[in-house]
Amino acid sequence: MATAFVEERLTYLWETPKTIRGWFGTVDHKELGIRYLVTAFIFLLVGGIEALLVRIQLSRPDMAFLSPEAYNQIFTMHGVTMIFWYASPILSGFAIYLIPLMIGARDMAFPRLNAFTYWSFLLSGILLYISPLFGQAPHAGWFAYVPYTLTLYSPGIGMDIYALALIFLTVSTTANAVNFVVTILRLRAPGMAISRMPLFAYSTLTISLVILFALPALTAACIFLELDRRWGTHFFMVTGGGDTFLWQQLFWFFGHPWVYVIFLPATGMISMIIPVFSRRPIVGYAWVAIATVLTGLVGFGVWLHHMFTVGMSDMAMSFFSAGSMTVSIFTTIQVFAWVATLWKGKPVASTAMYYALGTVALLVIGGLSGVFTGIIPVDWQVHNTYYVVAHIHYVLIGANVFPVFAGFYYWLPKMMGRMMNETLGKWSFWVMFIGFNVGFFPMHILGLIGMPRRIYTYPAGLGFESTNMVVTIGSFVFGIGVLLSLINLFASMRTGELAGKNPWNSDGLEWDTDSPPQPYGTAHIPLVVTRHPLWDEFEESMDPENERVLDGGRLTPTSGWLDAEPNGIATMPEDSLAPLALAIFMFIFFACLVFQLMWVVLGSLILMFFTCCYWMWPRESKEVA
Amino acid sequence: MSTVAQVSPRPPARYTALQSLPIDQKRGEWAMWCTIATEAMLFLCMFGAYYYLGTNKDRWNIDYPPSLKYPFILLAILVSSSVVLEWGKKQVERERFSAGRIALWITVVMGLVFLTLQAFEYLDHWKSLAPYSDSYGSIFYVITSLHAAHVIVGLLILMYVGVLPRYGETRNSPHRPYAAASMYWHFVDVVWLFIVICLYVIPTFQGHAHGHFAK
Repeated sequence: MATAFVEERLTYLWETPKTIRGWFGTVDHKELGIRYLVTAFIFLLVGGIEALLVRIQLSRPDMAFLSPEAYNQIFTMHGVTMIFWYASPILSGFAIYLIPLMIGARDMAFPRLNAFTYWSFLLSGILLYISPLFGQAPHAGWFAYVPYTLTLYSPGIGMDIYALALIFLTVSTTANAVNFVVTILRLRAPGMAISRMPLFAYSTLTISLVILFALPALTAACIFLELDRRWGTHFFMVTGGGDTFLWQQLFWFFGHPWVYVIFLPATGMISMIIPVFSRRPIVGYAWVAIATVLTGLVGFGVWLHHMFTVGMSDMAMSFFSAGSMTVSIFTTIQVFAWVATLWKGKPVASTAMYYALGTVALLVIGGLSGVFTGIIPVDWQVHNTYYVVAHIHYVLIGANVFPVFAGFYYWLPKMMGRMMNETLGKWSFWVMFIGFNVGFFPMHILGLIGMPRRIYTYPAGLGFESTNMVVTIGSFVFGIGVLLSLINLFASMRTGELAGKNPWNSDGLEWDTDSPPQPYGTAHIPLVVTRHPLWDEFEESMDPENERVLDGGRLTPTSGWLDAEPNGIATMPEDSLAPLALAIFMFIFFACLVFQLMWVVLGSLILMFFTCCYWMWPRESKEVA
Repeated sequence: MSTVAQVSPRPPARYTALQSLPIDQKRGEWAMWCTIATEAMLFLCMFGAYYYLGTNKDRWNIDYPPSLKYPFILLAILVSSSVVLEWGKKQVERERFSAGRIALWITVVMGLVFLTLQAFEYLDHWKSLAPYSDSYGSIFYVITSLHAAHVIVGLLILMYVGVLPRYGETRNSPHRPYAAASMYWHFVDVVWLFIVICLYVIPTFQGHAHGHFAK
């Protein structure tokens, strides 16, 4: 059989028709990954605009650019959007696109679940953004402490939408995590033992497990909040025997592991990018892998450090302070591995490398300010000041936005088939890097001299004026830097030079596909014998007898989770509209809960059940003999 | 590059002849394990909230704990339904599909009996305690009704499996639906065991130990 013939068969099997039904029903992980990236990036832009509005309000003392209520709603929407609808989904977008290519699978383990995950992520975001249309967005900060969020102090639908949109999002995120766990543990190409797995797969696997065990706490907290607000229960009101700290306990039991959910995949991306542009394998692969897993594990034992000012026993505080500092050891291991890789390698100054190095620099600053806040007396001093705002932005922009941009400059040529403009990219990096530091470093000082976070405005004469002005200027410069990369993207999409299969001479299997990849990935399922498939002398896709093409249907091999010994063939479903329908019915369910339309809620539950039945019903699939 | 692999040119045949491998049947059960893990964590958070709300509050020790009349009957029903379903799964694995299907529908009936009895328990309980009475009422009803919701979901899954045309090895999904559904049912069963222990039995012992029921 000629290769062209095999490719024709595979294309027939895997290609999504370019029709309206195809667009809404596709289960192709590449298509869904790009949609994830685009949607999450739009949420980044929306959240960024909200941040700029907040910064205008704070630029000078006694400003009245926004009303106090509008200010509260906008900073809350900024936080909620960035933390829940941007930071994690954008990493999921990279993972959905890249993980199957990296591990040599033809798609995710549950392609239709993957489509459902995307639609429910999108619709939960839309549900959140219904609230500003009513002028009643959530207004209690992204962690929504009770009792302020109960109906007594927050009437209206804002906090209901917060609670229900988050529960909707947890459904989506949990489904995604299940999909990643099964994909990474079972669908790796033959021979890709766990000791040869790309580090990005390690971090994605770790955070998927963290999501499974941490997210239910958020679900429980939001269920309690909604019941307290609308159904008269007494979880949080002290008068009925409730406890306001129950919210904080549950929220931070979820909240701190979540920090690692939006951080670890980004370090995984850096661990993929720095070795490629240092032209050598990463130093201490096993150490980095173990540190990644341990960060996720120990991340469950630090949540009380958000609550040191609540008041608790010295024993508890000491334990959680020690836990918080232990976590920084694992991050330090990764940082030293990156630095050592640079040191021993021959670094190439590409834009992706600029962003990766920017990440390392900002992560070190943000990590150190985190160690300070882990020390209890310091925490008491800086709690709820701008010092904490500076810390969270150094770790979240430094260790999420910068790695994401590194990832864009590194993997976009694979996704769109054209190279990004390097000159404009480097300009964008420097503008972002300088703007970020000008904007956020002074916040440390503001916090130390006592400016509390979340204040609407401040009077003149407290020593806050000039520093706040600098912060606002810096944040706008940072925004311009992001805009430069966006221009770069749109320009390069049309005029960039063609990328070819492997423009960076990288080591991972994803670079063995065309740019952009064929719907089926690679024609021959690769056979992996080392950690760096494209750098070794073994021909992964050498298969003259066509024994590893699996062109009898939508098929991909499964393998043992530890040694990746091939043990079966997984049949993959075809395109389906059921995931979209299920997500829409779920959207109706949550939206009608906000407005207490209980008959519609019941109806949507019934429709959800029948959609699931239709989805799971056995059917024949496209096969070629 | 520094990583030059020392490999033989022809890898073992099991790595190359992928076409001859069997069709994978296990993905659904792996996903079910993940689902059970995250659901178990949800109940763990609920139990955590139960104990967190219960500390330093007199109310929980003074009043009578929930009656032990219903929970053990309910437990007996669920455990025996799990046994029936497990037997049915064994039948399906031996390709006696009709026996498996009958066992499954018996399980469904037992689940419905469970829900009916629990409704009676609620009616009984409601006289002295409602979700909006206080925090104890809130958490008690939320945990038990969340479990009831899981029973309903479990029953819906079982009924769907009950009308599926075939249970044997299949090329396309759903693979081994019977096994995955029974895993979920057993999980719902185990959660009830913990509810009986934490919400019914331990409070009773504590009450007697502290002598609250003398008056």
